[in-house]
Amino acid sequence: MKPNYHTVLTQRLQDRTFTLSLTITGIVILFSIIYPTLFPTFDNFRQVLLNLSVETIVAVGMMLLMISGSFDLSVGSVVAFSGGLCAWLMYFHHVNVCAAVLIALLACLFIGLINGYFVAYIGINPLIQTLAMMGIVRGLALMVSGAGIQALPYWFNAIGQSRLFGIQMPVWYMIITVILFTFLFTKTVFFRRYYYIGSNEKAAMLSGIAVKKMKLYGFMIASLLAGVAGILLSSRLGAAMSTSGEGLELRVITAVILGGASLNGGTGKITGALLGAVFMGLVSNIMTIARISGYWQQIILGIILIAAICVDLLLKKERIAKLKVE
Amino acid sequence: MLLQLQHINKTYPGVNALKDVSLTIAGGEVHALCGENGAGKSTLMNILSGNQQPTSGEILLNNKSVKITNPLRATALGIAIVHQEKSLSESLSIAENIYAGRQPVNKWGLINYSLLYQKTTGLLERLGLQYLSPRTILKQISSAEQQMVEVAKALSLNPRILILDEPTAAITEKETEILFHIISQLKKDDVAIVYISHRMREIFSISDKVSVLKDGNHQGTRLTAETNTNDLIKMMVGREIPQLPVNKSRQATTALKVQSLCGDGFHGISFSIHKGEVVGLSGLVGAGRSEIAKAIFGAAPVHSGDIFIHDKKVNIQSTGKAIKLGIGYIAEERKTEGTFPDMNVGDNIVAANMKAAKTKNLFSNEMVSSIAEKFIKKLNIATPNVKRQVRFLSGGNQQKVVIAKWLLADTEILIADEPTRGVDVGSRFEIYQLLKKEAEKGKAILLISSELPELLLLSDTIHVIRNGKLVETFNRENATEEKIMLAAAAE
Repeated sequence: MKPNYHTVLTQRLQDRTFTLSLTITGIVILFSIIYPTLFPTFDNFRQVLLNLSVETIVAVGMMLLMISGSFDLSVGSVVAFSGGLCAWLMYFHHVNVCAAVLIALLACLFIGLINGYFVAYIGINPLIQTLAMMGIVRGLALMVSGAGIQALPYWFNAIGQSRLFGIQMPVWYMIITVILFTFLFTKTVFFRRYYYIGSNEKAAMLSGIAVKKMKLYGFMIASLLAGVAGILLSSRLGAAMSTSGEGLELRVITAVILGGASLNGGTGKITGALLGAVFMGLVSNIMTIARISGYWQQIILGIILIAAICVDLLLKKERIAKLKVE
Repeated sequence: MLLQLQHINKTYPGVNALKDVSLTIAGGEVHALCGENGAGKSTLMNILSGNQQPTSGEILLNNKSVKITNPLRATALGIAIVHQEKSLSESLSIAENIYAGRQPVNKWGLINYSLLYQKTTGLLERLGLQYLSPRTILKQISSAEQQMVEVAKALSLNPRILILDEPTAAITEKETEILFHIISQLKKDDVAIVYISHRMREIFSISDKVSVLKDGNHQGTRLTAETNTNDLIKMMVGREIPQLPVNKSRQATTALKVQSLCGDGFHGISFSIHKGEVVGLSGLVGAGRSEIAKAIFGAAPVHSGDIFIHDKKVNIQSTGKAIKLGIGYIAEERKTEGTFPDMNVGDNIVAANMKAAKTKNLFSNEMVSSIAEKFIKKLNIATPNVKRQVRFLSGGNQQKVVIAKWLLADTEILIADEPTRGVDVGSRFEIYQLLKKEAEKGKAILLISSELPELLLLSDTIHVIRNGKLVETFNRENATEEKIMLAAAAE
């Protein structure tokens, strides 16, 4: 069977990173024409990227989990907790910046360890486990940062507020995270295993993959990345707030699904997490420029998500109908 | 005539799945339908059961033209189908599964449970499952029993036409006998039975007529009494299947030895496999064969007993460890245990040995493709390319992908659990030859199969497992189907 032009196109259209890149390019061109002075400026793009950097770092971890067939609702709380714990250690206990960051990240790893242990080894459904953890960690965040901690050390603020080539550091951290995990997911056997686990957990186990251990690590990595994002956020703001990261988990899941992940697991690419976040960031940026109210932003994002999934299902149905009879 | 299919065509964009198929089936007739996977049997049955509409052609029921627009319509017309794939809810009871959506109700419109259970008990008795309570939750019974529940569901409709799609793929000879008994009862009641199967022996023991489909064409219909296996196979595949010569590859060294092995569902199991030897495990479904295999492979716990590889005692706690020690396991359930249906052929083949796809210490997709190309050629896997998702391949080709996975892992000991289940005749013999070739290369093979001819064809030694115990051992010379069956089914 020779691949003809049509099947190649349908195949490319199945690849979400391709369609999303195309859509993003289209949006950028279109709105550069509509708002030539406000939209296509270095400052605006820099701001868009800065705004989505924290989300993207969390999204990379979420993509990992969703590829493996699970997800984590506690990441938003972990973002608040890691920044809060860090600030609490520095402000009240005068722990130095490096040690505080390290301790906060270890604490996040521990949260991931608990999530992973209960999901993988005890068999609690990830929805229930991470929903419970979301509440627990939010409570912990409130305990450590209370009404908010300000006046953080200079070197801590420097992590998120310094610039390189005119672009703020969180954007660079985001780019490094995406490149690093793209590399890991395409080039290392360890991370490739998550695709197998997400595609068919039992078959993965019977192919010699240590499924439970891998799941445990997955939750730890996702939690660690949320911790990194939390530290970047509070460093960038120069303050730790117990409310930061509220609702983040759902925004991140939306971005990841737009980026090609499925709740059934087995599909998705790390770059998809970035593209999903970029897409959402652009949409809200454009709506702000167009002075559309924040309420509409949510409504429109919801519609876009449903539309994207519908197109996907239609393409898939056509493809399956064709292949089944071969 | 009860059922007539006239000039049925089914075309999908670019493909003719059925080409001008005409069949006539009388009441009280068992009409076997055979053909390789993809020949159009399932499409034809989907049309009969209302799941799909023919592109053209006519269906006559009692000489009256009918349109079967949906499955409910099929039921109303008296057509019941037992699907190859299970269509039951695992978390509901047997009774609720059988009468799903049409539970008997009392005058208030509420479900009448006592009548529901009473009716179900009657059906279960008819199927030889009187030991099961109608209240039993489906997931607590074996897959063979679940298959019989599926049959019970079809019978509960009191069909005039009963379609059985590979009904024996998941059940043992004991249940098969009961099923055949029921079929002969239904025949007396003038029910027409369409029996789809790959298994020649069943076709010859139960059917009155056989129709063969090949690539959507109706190759012909024969009276079963006037034809034979070779004829049918020739019609199906267009070639004769070679016989296999006797194994001569058994070597003196022992590759695997298990001693007094106990685990969930089996106890006191001892046997050994030499290099180059094929050892068969026979027994009824649920006798504990797969459990033994999984325990050796580290996928199920071992309570006591020892496993030796090359006379060295080993402790296998995980499947990863098993593979490192040189054990591979072709899983019993291809769909749920063997393949990654949404992943492509290449990814499936490297699943158990991803390290083979590394170049310069990094995982490489090009390497995956080149490995996969090699196996596609070597195993004659019918796929347009290595990027095709496995679920779009036929059962036989999917199984070859699973075998390729384990050939790449290159383990010294290979456990093959029902390696030809749901596989068409052509692929089946290719799989036999592959297993044999691996034995000739010095691999030790443990073959688990519910098909006695298969075991007899390939094995040097056959152990019979009954109720979790190894009850009898035969070697190639003294094994016969009757003896094995007797040992496996004795009470």
